Amino acid sequence: MWKIASRSRIKSPWIFHLNTGSCNGCDIEIVAALTPRYDAERLGCVLVGSPRHADVLILTGPLTSQMMPRVVRVYEQIPEPKAVVAVGSCAISGAPFLGSYSIEGPLDRIIPVDVYVAGCPPRPEAIIRGIVTAVKRKFG
Amino acid sequence: MVNEREVKYDEFARFILPVGPVHPALKEPFHLKIIVKREEVLDVELRLGHVHRGIEFLAENRNLIQAIYLTERICGICSHSHTTCFIQALEEVGGLKPPERALYLRTLIFELERAHSHLLLLGIMAYQIGFDTLFMYTWAAREKVLDLFEEITGNRIHHAMNVIGGVRWDLTPKMAEKTIRVMKDIEVTTRRIYDFFRGETVEKRLSGVGLLSQHDAHELCVVGPTARASGLVFDVRKDDPYAAYGDLNDSFSVISKKEGDSYARTEVRILELFELINIVQAALDRLPNGPINLGESPVRLMRRIPRGEAISRVEAPRGELIYFVKTNGGDGLERLKIRTPTLANIISLKKMLIGCEIADVPVIVTSIDPCLSCANRITLVDHETGEVKVVNADELRRKKS
Amino acid sequence: MIALEILLATLPLVFLLSLLFEGIDRKVHARMQRRIGPPIIQPFYDFIKLLVKENIVPTTAARSIFNASPSLAAASSIVGAAIPLANLIARTGIIGDLILVMYLLTMSSIMIVVGGSSSGNPYGAVGFSRKIMMLIGYEIPLLISVVSISIKAGPSLIYYDIILAQIKSDKCLACAYISSATAALTFLLCISAAVGVVPFDIPEAKTEVIHGPLIEYSGPQLALLKLAKSSTIFSLSLLAFTLFFYFPTIYELSIVLGEIATLGACLLGSLMVMLLTVTLPRTVFARLKIGQAFKTYWFFPLPMAITSLMLSVLGW
Repeated sequence: MWKIASRSRIKSPWIFHLNTGSCNGCDIEIVAALTPRYDAERLGCVLVGSPRHADVLILTGPLTSQMMPRVVRVYEQIPEPKAVVAVGSCAISGAPFLGSYSIEGPLDRIIPVDVYVAGCPPRPEAIIRGIVTAVKRKFG
Repeated sequence: MVNEREVKYDEFARFILPVGPVHPALKEPFHLKIIVKREEVLDVELRLGHVHRGIEFLAENRNLIQAIYLTERICGICSHSHTTCFIQALEEVGGLKPPERALYLRTLIFELERAHSHLLLLGIMAYQIGFDTLFMYTWAAREKVLDLFEEITGNRIHHAMNVIGGVRWDLTPKMAEKTIRVMKDIEVTTRRIYDFFRGETVEKRLSGVGLLSQHDAHELCVVGPTARASGLVFDVRKDDPYAAYGDLNDSFSVISKKEGDSYARTEVRILELFELINIVQAALDRLPNGPINLGESPVRLMRRIPRGEAISRVEAPRGELIYFVKTNGGDGLERLKIRTPTLANIISLKKMLIGCEIADVPVIVTSIDPCLSCANRITLVDHETGEVKVVNADELRRKKS
Repeated sequence: MIALEILLATLPLVFLLSLLFEGIDRKVHARMQRRIGPPIIQPFYDFIKLLVKENIVPTTAARSIFNASPSLAAASSIVGAAIPLANLIARTGIIGDLILVMYLLTMSSIMIVVGGSSSGNPYGAVGFSRKIMMLIGYEIPLLISVVSISIKAGPSLIYYDIILAQIKSDKCLACAYISSATAALTFLLCISAAVGVVPFDIPEAKTEVIHGPLIEYSGPQLALLKLAKSSTIFSLSLLAFTLFFYFPTIYELSIVLGEIATLGACLLGSLMVMLLTVTLPRTVFARLKIGQAFKTYWFFPLPMAITSLMLSVLGW
């Protein structure tokens, strides 16, 4: 029974995407991952509009101070079990915005991150792989 | 008695609908406080600043080459516009003249970037009105442009093509051939997309929505396709040519529409796609031979840039982009000031949104093609005290006039 | 009593079939967009995953209504789908079961928005008002078309009587009479609004009102709401096929190949109906605005439904 549940979780990661100050580069690559060439839906990934429906939180950007409380709030709104994927170099380390007065990052200081997808921006394939790795590690 | 009841009913019927900062219609966070009565929008409050990263401040603490890297990361969609604009200003200060071929290559990447940006917007527009198939179709076409980028510059999004005094990568004849082939593909696809947008279901959602009269457009200083859709004829590429646009002047015309609604703004972008295909073809035809940069190390060039200031402007996919650059004579910047097209356009949202329906809100917001990572960077006006200041629409308007 | 037992036995069948139908719908939708698309059993994965997820009830919600409405919605739409299926298998009916089915399906979609509006989220409230407006738009022509066909077949309000009438007259009703053909067209036009898919997913528009009524639901409650929606799709396409296009040859199949063949043919037919009325519109149309959708329904299906009713009273 538990096996079926965990398999279902791996097979249907619903994504909520949150931009925490990204330059749009990662965001458009995330959206590009849903389009016909990469088609993340074949793995069950669906981009949902409400954090309540989501399983995987994808975060991009260096975490600005304005977005910080919202990131925490969105993270808390996602029902358990959940996985967090940090996409892009900004989300991982804050670069090149490190040192700015309005950057609170890196992201894993605020919320636990399961998978880091490096790149500026990472390719859609890498993002899909990051999601799949995250759900396998977290729900498997 | 009757009046009293009406007032009470009104109060009950109007309620505040927060749109954003986290909202699926907005790929980037910004906040719209919309006061609605049933489906009708009565008032809008705009709030920016959620993705403010303090780039101007950071750029002033770094050297020029690091600043190029930073300005590229202002926006992932129009990254080449930002670096071109910045480097043009630096070259003006330093009295450097990049070779002809470099200018042509800059123009080429610039127009390819416009193609990818406009296709992106058309796809997002289709997504906002619930037309997933068109969204998929448009983005599939956009992948071809990204492939070109990858082949020419090595990157899909941040091309890192510009260096001081030229460009980084040369174009081989094989790439040029492929570019022409892809452009022909894109032309066919765009024709089909245009048919889709002219079709009844899409046109019904877009036409007559979010009107911006020519007078208002002029008053609010909107730029780019948003202005051109309201009857203003203004394009930096024609009016103040930069890079190789002076030579390519005859290969394109400025698209302008009178209607000023969301449909006109979308149509202007579709027609611009056809124009830019002409520009790319002309640029490839006339591509001169020669070096692609000044042949000196960028670090040495950077050190040669004296103290001075310059203003540079380019026509980014979303409109006129202005950089004010003041160098400090060492290798750094004393002041960097960026006015992005979205900042100029976003104030017109208030004018467009009032009186529309809730269903129109995402359409209108998308129709100006907001790039908030650009606009929000500038929200901090008060940089001396280092205080994060959030500017609402009213304040913004006051600042403008 | 036997009917009740068959009804209970069909409930799991409805559950399986409606999720399977949704999977096929998603696959075909993806293929039409030149994508590979999710596996056909994807809705089962989604359902199980949501079922074992945490359930969050927002503090602003009216707790009892918020908790009760997903179960009510799912129960009523599953029963609404099970009754016609059970009748098809048992080949019998109870007086007024057609009315009961229509009532249950409407009940299900109302329960979804009631739950959404009790969540305390403004988007849920917007979704509620939009759904009620849509209900006024499509429910009247839908009901009139059912009434029109039941007059033609009897008059009788027993679901199986209408099928029997088609078997007896040796023609499916939509082919036999003009009034029934009009009613069939009305019914088909109303399906996409009744189940709330693009172009009529206005109450649940993702980019406008963030899934509207579903916004605050999570975990098992959301699973039930999704199930309610897919079983409504299943039920309506089954009804549309069997009420209007039940070719007598389908009945004759059972003589040759057994009853399973008849049932299979009905399901295949309703699958075709679903692909035509749900998958195709949601692939080729953009979402309408609420005013446009309302107008669409009052200008086309409503006059058509009334014409059909008048024609069937006149005996055409």
